[in-house]
Amino acid sequence: MAVALAVPPTRMELLKLRQRVGLAQRGHDLLKEKMDALVIEFFEVLRRIQEARTKALEQLFVAHRALSMCFAIVGTLETKQASKETRRELQVEISTRHIMGIAVPAVEVREVERNALVRGYGLHMTSSVLDEASMEFERALKLLIELAELEGSAFALARELEKTKRRVNALEYILIPRLKETLKFIMMRLDEMERENFSRLKRIKAMLEERG
Amino acid sequence: MGFKIAVVGDQDTVTGFALAGATYTHIYTTKEEALAKLGEFLASDEIGLVLVTHRIVEALGYEFRRMMRAKRLLPLVLRISDKTGYVPKVDELREIIKRTVGAEIMVKREGS
Repeated sequence: MAVALAVPPTRMELLKLRQRVGLAQRGHDLLKEKMDALVIEFFEVLRRIQEARTKALEQLFVAHRALSMCFAIVGTLETKQASKETRRELQVEISTRHIMGIAVPAVEVREVERNALVRGYGLHMTSSVLDEASMEFERALKLLIELAELEGSAFALARELEKTKRRVNALEYILIPRLKETLKFIMMRLDEMERENFSRLKRIKAMLEERG
Repeated sequence: MGFKIAVVGDQDTVTGFALAGATYTHIYTTKEEALAKLGEFLASDEIGLVLVTHRIVEALGYEFRRMMRAKRLLPLVLRISDKTGYVPKVDELREIIKRTVGAEIMVKREGS
């Protein structure tokens, strides 16, 4: 049972409340629509994540296998050395996109895969398995970057969804019932006052007639 | 604007991604060190993506989750599997869905 707000039961207050209920209702409808749209968007992103994740994990597995191979053939130390020598300045373009007013990350993947020559490690000391491992990891990284974009969007959407849901529920289950309860209270009160007035008038009339 | 990539992981993962061109790397040794490094990565303006292996995420536990909540939109943080292909049973994203959408979680399971 919603508790009525503590307001004086006046006609003025009644009018104000009516306006507030209307506003709250409209807000509620809008938010609900927003929530529905968000849910649709959210599930779309989730579906894409599922695909991207399987692909990325598979590629990562392949990459790790290639790296293990490299460790075995080239040697652990040499591989680590090469990884230190590698030119490590890969850049990704990240900006923000807006889905219904929510900032979500938008990643632009440039070509991640590199030629063995531009990687930066010395070619005469290393073997082609190292090139292969590097390439597999570059591929994996590319997929992971795409996945990161999707996951980032999903998290942003989920956060917004949670917020919207809270608001919808607050309006639906707390504010609107409370306002309606108050509305009812004031109406009852006003009716009661009218009846009181009416009977008072009757009584006065009767008294006047008795006297006259 | 270009952003760089950071990796926090075990030796093999770090080596692999360094070969692929990740700029910043940290090899996990102790929890405190990893947390400090992660905080540094998250605060940096030039890092756009931080890769962390699931195993480390689990080792860091609560502190990691708190960091995730406090961070800005960028850098993105992505959890990846390590050499053993280890992925935790409880997916965080799935947890969020459960919390936000409630019963509708089954709809997604069907598609997966």
